[in-house]
Amino acid sequence: MTRSPAMMALRWLVFALAAFIMNFPVIATLITSLKSDAEISSYPGLFIQSPTLVNYVAIFEMSDRFDITHYLANSLVMSLIGAGLALLLAFPAAYAMVRLEIGTKWVMPLIVNLRAIPLIIFAIPIYLMYQQVDLLDTRLGMGFIQCLVNLPLVLVLLATSIAELPEEIEEAARVDGASTFQILVRIVAPISVNVIAASAVLSFIYSWNEFLFGLILTTSNAVPISVGASFFFAASGGGVRWGVAAAVMILATLTPLVLGLLMYRQIGRSMTAGAVKG
Amino acid sequence: MQISERRRDGIWLLAPMTLFLLLLLGFPLVLDLIYSVSKVGFETLRSPEVVGFGNYREAISDPEFWAAAWFSLRFAIIVATLQVLLGLGLAIFLAPLLEVRPWLMAILMLPMMVAPALVGLMYRLVLHEFVGVVPYYLYLWNGDSPSFLGASTAFRTLVTIEILQWTPFALLILYTAYAAIPTSIREAAALDGVRGLGSLRYIDLPMMMPAIGVTYFIRFIDSFRVFDNVYTLVGPGAGGSTTTMSIYIYRAFFKVGDIGLAVAASMLLLVASFVVLFAINKLTARRKPT
Repeated sequence: MTRSPAMMALRWLVFALAAFIMNFPVIATLITSLKSDAEISSYPGLFIQSPTLVNYVAIFEMSDRFDITHYLANSLVMSLIGAGLALLLAFPAAYAMVRLEIGTKWVMPLIVNLRAIPLIIFAIPIYLMYQQVDLLDTRLGMGFIQCLVNLPLVLVLLATSIAELPEEIEEAARVDGASTFQILVRIVAPISVNVIAASAVLSFIYSWNEFLFGLILTTSNAVPISVGASFFFAASGGGVRWGVAAAVMILATLTPLVLGLLMYRQIGRSMTAGAVKG
Repeated sequence: MQISERRRDGIWLLAPMTLFLLLLLGFPLVLDLIYSVSKVGFETLRSPEVVGFGNYREAISDPEFWAAAWFSLRFAIIVATLQVLLGLGLAIFLAPLLEVRPWLMAILMLPMMVAPALVGLMYRLVLHEFVGVVPYYLYLWNGDSPSFLGASTAFRTLVTIEILQWTPFALLILYTAYAAIPTSIREAAALDGVRGLGSLRYIDLPMMMPAIGVTYFIRFIDSFRVFDNVYTLVGPGAGGSTTTMSIYIYRAFFKVGDIGLAVAASMLLLVASFVVLFAINKLTARRKPT
């Protein structure tokens, strides 16, 4: 490919256009969230005449009816459970599959293929099951679901990474009398810290953004922000307060956006590995 | 270490995850199977009455079921095809730029970080007739703006939204595949007089083929089961013109309360997924030796 200055300028232009168009909903929402109601209705364009934070303040004034901190806290807790539990379950399982060759015949292909199955299939029986065991509308119940959703990817990422580790260290430790559990915790876990962190971040983002099960399994106590955000569209009776709605959407998406910007390398590598190895 | 000891340790390590999956996947699947051949309501959950394949017959003879299946299939094929083409084009065209400024990828990946449900809500604002940015500029420049969510236009709007959010995925995977092609191969080809478009045709694209296939498959599956953004943007109804397979099942269960129908439709969807997966596995298995 040519690297002439003109071609590079053209590439910059295409990049800027693509970035603008693909990120357009977030950009437009951010701009709207910084305008007053009057300005939104008189001028919906892409420039802000008098920037203001009134919409962000207004969100917290209606916390008696729609409590955004509650939804954010719910999302945080269930995403942490979802990411943490998935790692806790998948790490030993991945090791068993790669090194001890247990479960490679059935469990592994089953879980990997799970990614390709529409989750709505399991949503209804899980709803009925949760109803019987009082897990409906709980953070714990939602955490379990997030774990289920994340398991396939986390397992693939961990198994791929463990398979690439040199086996000699583990064998040396075994000769010295270390048990499998000790090897796992003292040797494999510390050298896998990068892939564990990357899987955790990606699982956290996926959990934070999950919507279907949040919609079905929660009603008030455990409503995640992905579901709660839409409540603000109907918050003031008749008309939607678009500025407030926009501010809510920005707050709702801030956490994964910041994580995505800070850790794009790890996330990109995980997404690629998860896609190609799966 | 002895074989039996390895087995024992392995089973212990694998057991928690397997147990978890049995509880949260195995058990629901059994429930799905039972309810799909039963007459059951919310009051009779514990005592479903087995009635045979009536629910399946109801699903198969429901024109809305087939409309939803056709919607999802058409949606998935169009979206996955365009995403892969756009992603491929961007990946190859932007490669020299991304090589020297890798952080630009972070900005291109951002759309994937936003919850699809929120993207749907954001477009409710962006496409709104009076306060939306897009209609505002269309009125300004064009004097007219189409209704983006009408019965005839909603499909195109949803396709566009889905493509804009997930083309970054195709771009990421395909750029990684493109960047992984050793330069020595291109240099060798250049010595033989193969460069520019020829290099693309005879070297880059063939070497990227596996990645292209995987990307297409993942995007197809994800688009086929689409729910979040469709639900938040046009709601579960919209005159039925935007009923995806997932929304059909959701509605049968929560809005109509027809558990049997919803579950039978789920099982049909599961069987269809297995058929697709089986076909894909067969295809990739056959290609591997070459």
